[in-house]
Amino acid sequence: MGMAVTGDLDLDLAAAPTTTSVPRRGRWVLPSVRNGAITPMALILGTGAFLRLWALDAVGFNSDEAVYAGQAASIAGDPALSSLFPIFRAHPLLFQTTLSLQFLGGVSDVGARVLSVGFGVATIVVVYLLGKALYSVKVGLVAAFFLAVMPYHVVVTRQVVLDGPQTFFAVLALYCLVRFCTGRATRWLYATAAVFGLSILTKEVAAILVIAVFVFFVLRREFRLGWLAPLISVAILLAVVAVYPLSLMFSGRKSTGSNYLMWQFFRRPNHSLWFYVETVPAAMGFAVLVLAIAGLWLLRRQGSWREWLLGCWVVVPLVFFEIWPTKGYQYLLPIAPIIAVLAARTVVRGKFPGLSALRPPLARATRIAVIFGVGISMAVPSWQSVNPTPAPTFLAGSGGVPGGRETGQWIKANLPEGSRILAVGPSMANIVQFYGHRKAFGLSVSPNARSRNPSYEPVDNPDRQLRSRDLQYIVWDVYSSARAPFFSEQLMRYVQKYGGVAVHTETITVNGQAGSAIPKPVIIVYEVRP
Amino acid sequence: MTRRSLIRVIAVILIVLAQPAGPAHADLSRATTTPIEHFVVLMQSNHSFDNYFGTYPGADGIPAGTCMPLRSDSSSTDGCVQPFRLDKESAHDLNNGPGMQRAQYNEGQMNGFVAAYRDKELDGTRAMGYYDGADLPYYWNIADRFTLFDRFFSSARTGSHRNHFYWVAGVPTPNGAEQVPPGGYGDIPTIFDRLEARGVSWKFYVENYDPHITLRTPGSGELAGQPARVPLLNYQRFVDNPALFGKIADLSEYYTDLKNGTLPAVAYVASAGSSENPPSRVQAGQELVRSIASDLAQSRYWSSSAFLWTYDGWGGWYDHVAPPNKDAFGYGFRVPALLVSAYSRRGQVNHTELDYTAILKFIESNWRLDPLGDRDARSPGLDSAFDFTVARPPELVGTTRVTAAPSGHAPAVVYLTYGAGALFAAACAFGVMYAGRPTRQRRRRSDEEQS
Repeated sequence: MGMAVTGDLDLDLAAAPTTTSVPRRGRWVLPSVRNGAITPMALILGTGAFLRLWALDAVGFNSDEAVYAGQAASIAGDPALSSLFPIFRAHPLLFQTTLSLQFLGGVSDVGARVLSVGFGVATIVVVYLLGKALYSVKVGLVAAFFLAVMPYHVVVTRQVVLDGPQTFFAVLALYCLVRFCTGRATRWLYATAAVFGLSILTKEVAAILVIAVFVFFVLRREFRLGWLAPLISVAILLAVVAVYPLSLMFSGRKSTGSNYLMWQFFRRPNHSLWFYVETVPAAMGFAVLVLAIAGLWLLRRQGSWREWLLGCWVVVPLVFFEIWPTKGYQYLLPIAPIIAVLAARTVVRGKFPGLSALRPPLARATRIAVIFGVGISMAVPSWQSVNPTPAPTFLAGSGGVPGGRETGQWIKANLPEGSRILAVGPSMANIVQFYGHRKAFGLSVSPNARSRNPSYEPVDNPDRQLRSRDLQYIVWDVYSSARAPFFSEQLMRYVQKYGGVAVHTETITVNGQAGSAIPKPVIIVYEVRP
Repeated sequence: MTRRSLIRVIAVILIVLAQPAGPAHADLSRATTTPIEHFVVLMQSNHSFDNYFGTYPGADGIPAGTCMPLRSDSSSTDGCVQPFRLDKESAHDLNNGPGMQRAQYNEGQMNGFVAAYRDKELDGTRAMGYYDGADLPYYWNIADRFTLFDRFFSSARTGSHRNHFYWVAGVPTPNGAEQVPPGGYGDIPTIFDRLEARGVSWKFYVENYDPHITLRTPGSGELAGQPARVPLLNYQRFVDNPALFGKIADLSEYYTDLKNGTLPAVAYVASAGSSENPPSRVQAGQELVRSIASDLAQSRYWSSSAFLWTYDGWGGWYDHVAPPNKDAFGYGFRVPALLVSAYSRRGQVNHTELDYTAILKFIESNWRLDPLGDRDARSPGLDSAFDFTVARPPELVGTTRVTAAPSGHAPAVVYLTYGAGALFAAACAFGVMYAGRPTRQRRRRSDEEQS
């Protein structure tokens, strides 16, 4: 459509984009950032990168980060961590394998997080391309801006977790799919399948998004695919995904992944049904969410397959994870870019009644104000989240564990090699293992194989192991204690029973009632000698 | 300089000079020649080297094809006994007297380990039993990480008294007798006399110690062997002198000394119930050794200490190395010996020919003491087992035997499979599209030509 992108955000540019950004059928068009979009995209990427890199090493790894980085270190052959973190645990290993290449030069927690940030920033670029392919350059730019400052995406992509890279590949697959839907070139369908495969190789739950696409094609019959193209696409998808079972098989393991899925399916729910309602909207930003939903209603007359595709992409995972017993803060990250695109569509293509036609400059200013208002409403909590106030509680997946890295480093420097440690739960045990290079067990891990995450190693008869000195140290932490008070009390009973002596206390500074800074012990290391 | 300043300077000099100089001189005389400021030595009981480490990789262990004849005067292998793994079986209390040792040695032919028992109408096949890493995981793990000696011989051919006496005095018992003379060992000097004279601290820790059992009141039952295990209790001067006698203490004091920071420079340890003396369970001995080593590793003394343990005799078990004839009394058969220290060489199997007097030699060299006899004077000591260039961090060795690499070939599989998967996906996503371009361009040109 030859749309200018130099800040021209006129309301009346909301016409259907099919003649502009959609390539002619069969024509190969490289995804690109138009010249006029380069400067704003550079600013957006700079902002996104800044928020994701700022104070990246202020707090050490959380449990999941420790596990994924530990797996990567094992793949890289790190001599200390190889014996502590099995390569095969619960998920596929594409991200860990990529990270292991970086670890060949030495294991670094900050370096690992920078790789995650790289995927996060790359996702912003793909969201721009997606918005541009679906609607217009402006929608792409605004969507990229929203995602760049969205607290949910900022917080998760600062961590060494699989959801950030998985979301990158998933959104890239969605972009390829959109290119197929607009140009009908089957090559893009094959590309979709291949990139979807990479997304599943990063985290297997990306398969839910394949189902979302299937639902979309069922609902929108205008895409008559025949049988050959879908067959080839499925074959490509399966060929890529086959890497997961093949790597398990050739390594002599066949049931790691299925064990984990079965446990997740039959486990007791770890959160209530309201978990996502209570956490995710606030993490995404209420304003961007309202914009996205409002646009679906207000622009319903402009509706097309595009909104159906985005809707399926959002609804199917939402329903799935609401039903799935295991709920995690970061699990809904793949829908965050879609919310950004839908919100951008609303703000770019929506009309202000009585203003758009009569006072275009005022409408343009209002639109700009809305964009930056929504952006700021997300940027402020993002900034707060990257400059967190230490607190003795935290939500798993929402950031690092204050004091965990420091405790692990103390353990590495001060406790004998070969020491075995008992912690309240597996989370602190993972952190201690990664930073402390010492074997650690979680007391709360059930010895009953049906009741525990198969990735976790239980400690059989901890009382006997403490008595026989197979366990020499106990690590108590306030975070695990808040989640598992029973096991915290049991752990402290062992401390008393076996003459535990506190050899290290890790404190964080929290704000007291009067606003004064108070040091609060969060992790204590005890030596036990029966 | 003013007069007041001069007075101040003189006053400071006088104060410095007035500081007691004694301890500084004493410290110098007690200073060690190595970083080892605390040496702990434990004596266990009655196992040969091949019985414990005969199948340890890299050690001079049981030769392939070994089959011990039933009669030592026969070269026939019919009915011979091959070495076999004892597994969880308790060690048998084999005859290990002088006659048995001579018959097993068989003038250096080392072929009488079964026949010696047969001649006494005993089965004898048990002598060929051995333990391996599955049975002795802690000891084998220690050998992996620290130093194992495979040419460490018992000093005397037989006899608990004789070997323990070499351990403390470096010389044979009076007349080489296994029995203690009526008045005790008299004035034969021990390493503790040397240490005492030099002002170097020492202690003799005894498991299940009963201070009433000495050469004068031998005791009975299980503790009757206490004076044999603690030769100092067969010295009148150590029993009668409260200052010396007070340095013989129960083993529990070892742990409190570690905790309180009062570990002496030289600590001998004699075990009782955990001595592994057959038919005692070898696991009990492992627990004792582990307890001593682990507490040392967790203490402030790790970087300035060394711990060595060995065995007071072969116990009647098979060992394939003929002991050298050093003098009229020994050597006896090889016994296990292991060294744990921040300075011991990792995973070294040390082939230096040693006996108990190597322990004395190390103490004498380290604290600048005179030798006690010819053996310790000529012993090469333990120097070859140490590397004093760098102190290793403390390590708690586990009781689970892990020998295989944890990852195996898994990393290679992961790189190959995921690398192939990523390349395939990239080829599908981009390569296929590029491959279609020439075809499309040709088709477009063809269309243009036709039009």
